This record gives sequence, structure tokens and C-alpha cells, in this order.
Amino acid sequence: MKTRILQSRQPRIRYANPRFQGPAVLAFAAIIATGGVIFWKLVDSQFQRVFLHTAIRGHYTFDSAYDIVRDLLSWHLAGLFFAVFLAGSVLVFFLVAATRDGIGKAVDSLRTSADGDLSTPTGTGSIGEFDRFGKKIDDTRSDTLTTVQMIRSEAAELAAGGMSPEEFRLRWDELKQRIRTIAP
Amino acid sequence: MSGPKAAGDGTLVQRRYVHGLLLRLCVNTAGGVGILFIILYFALSRPLHGDYAGVFHALRNLSPFLRPILAVSVLLYALLACGSTSALCIFILHKVAGPLYRMELVLDQYRSGAPTRTVSFRSGDQIQPLAHAFNRWIGSLRRDRHRWLATMMDAERHCLQDEATCRAEMEGALRKIAGDMAKYR
Repeated sequence: MKTRILQSRQPRIRYANPRFQGPAVLAFAAIIATGGVIFWKLVDSQFQRVFLHTAIRGHYTFDSAYDIVRDLLSWHLAGLFFAVFLAGSVLVFFLVAATRDGIGKAVDSLRTSADGDLSTPTGTGSIGEFDRFGKKIDDTRSDTLTTVQMIRSEAAELAAGGMSPEEFRLRWDELKQRIRTIAP
Repeated sequence: MSGPKAAGDGTLVQRRYVHGLLLRLCVNTAGGVGILFIILYFALSRPLHGDYAGVFHALRNLSPFLRPILAVSVLLYALLACGSTSALCIFILHKVAGPLYRMELVLDQYRSGAPTRTVSFRSGDQIQPLAHAFNRWIGSLRRDRHRWLATMMDAERHCLQDEATCRAEMEGALRKIAGDMAKYR
């Protein structure tokens, strides 16, 4: 019970990674701003024309300026909503596809590492954050490969013989220590 | 090495998560457009009183004010929509950014030589197969390490016999380990 209370009081950590979330925020902001500017330009020019036309035409059967442009405004607002939502959805699908591709390659790379392939590059693509992450995985695999190869060459050298029992024993113990450093 | 292959231990990005993101984006966009509508409604719904000439002049005089009204309302819409969408990006995308950050820390820890524990992400986090793949790799390395050390210790047991047998067993163990390590390339 106590544990449950403690767990519920723990604040949820929300990681903010400017390199990953930053470009997404900027892209969404660009979509909204572009939509807003297009809406402003279209509505401004059409409203100016409609008000002028209505003023000249006469027969004022309306109570307010809103009554004149109600339909026009509704259509433009609907257009703005669909345009921004569709562009945002495309961006969401792009982000998801980039994540699936970038992380998918990292996962495949780790799986082939489990089979012993530590040298094939991860190739996570050119998207900044995933590219950096892929390089980090490659560096880790490369470090492991270097350690394993050093141990292997030392083992082969020791197995070849041609050294005093004291030296052999010393290097044997050192090799054992070095093997213990693999995946501690 | 393609993305879809990675779907073995579950999907990298769950469909439910994508749908949730789209739904929130839809609500956000609708909210922004709704606010824009309310601002424009209040700006344009002032009654046009008076006679024919009064209404005519009111309509003609509306044009110079229309541009700043539209500019301010669109600016407000953009600020509100950008703010809420930014918050949406930060609070929703942290389910991908968080695990990535955690994996980076684990990789740094592993490279520094510190003991590496099994990686597990929070429930609801995406890219779970990444943790599984990393754990599988570390697991296979540990199994190999245990086997190599067991081979060495097995050879050491022969040192209770004569020196020559001990040395021969040790050299044999080393050849076996070197051969075993050849799978790493």
C-alpha cells in the first residue's frame, strides 16, 4: 500500500530532447503560420471585395457585417482547418516513418551484433537525431569488436607457446581479467 | 537491414499512439480555428444601425479596419495553435525521445566499462524492440564471456596434475577461445 502511494507521488519524467522534438515543433509551427498567412491573404482580399460590392449594391437586408460574410468565412475556416490538419497529419506520418526506419535499422544492427556482426554500419539515415544515435551504436559495437579482437590475438599468441611458464601464467591471468571486462 | 524487420519483438511505433497523436492534432487544429472564428465573429457582428447612407458608410469604413482585425486575429490564432501544438509535440513525442535518451545513457555507460543492467522502458513508451535487441546482444556477449571463462577455469583444474598437462590444456583452451571469438567480425 505504502509502495503504491509512493509510486503515485513520483512525478512522471517527461524527456525533452531539443534535437528530436525541436525540429518537429518548428515544422508544425511552420504549417500553422503558413496556413494563417494564406487564410489572411485570401480572406482579406475577398472580404474587401464583398463589403465594397455589398455597399454599392444596396438592399441592406442584414444586421451586421458578419451576416454578409458568414458563408465565406465558414468555408475559409473549414479550408484552414482541413489544410492545417492534413499537412500536420502528413508530418506526423513522416515522423513516424522516419522513427520506424531509423530505429528499425538500429534494432536490426543490434540483432546482427548478437550473431557476431559488429562491423556492418547501422546506416540509420541522414535524419539528425537518428544518424547520431546510429553512430553511437556503431561506436559501441566497434569498441566491443576491438576488445574481442585484442583478446583473440592475445589468446592466439599465448596458445602458440614459446614463453616461460611464469610469463605464460602472468599473461593468462591478465587475459582472464580482460575477458571479464566484456559486457560487465 | 530494414525497418519492418524490426517488428519481431512488437512494433516500434504503435498504431494506437499514432491515432492518439492524430486525434490530439485534430482537436488542437479545431480549437485554433474555433478561436479564430470567435475573434472574427465578435469583430464583425457589431450591428449596422442607421439609414441607407449610414449603413453604406459603415460598410465602406469597415475596409480600412478589416486588415488589422484579420492580422491580429490570425496572429492570435497562430500563437495559440503553435503554443498548443508545441506542447503536444513535447508531451507526446517524449515517448520516443525518452527511450532514445535512455538508450544513449546506457550506451555511454556500457562504453565507460560500468556494469550494464537490463534495459527496460516505461509502459506506454514506444520503440520497445530497441531495448529487447540491446538486451539480447548484451546477453549473448555475457553468455560467450561466461563460456570463455569456464573454458579457462576448466583448463586450470588440470594444473593439479603435472605442469606439462596443465600447459597443454591451457593452450588448448586458448585455441578454443580464439576460434570461438572468430565469429565476431
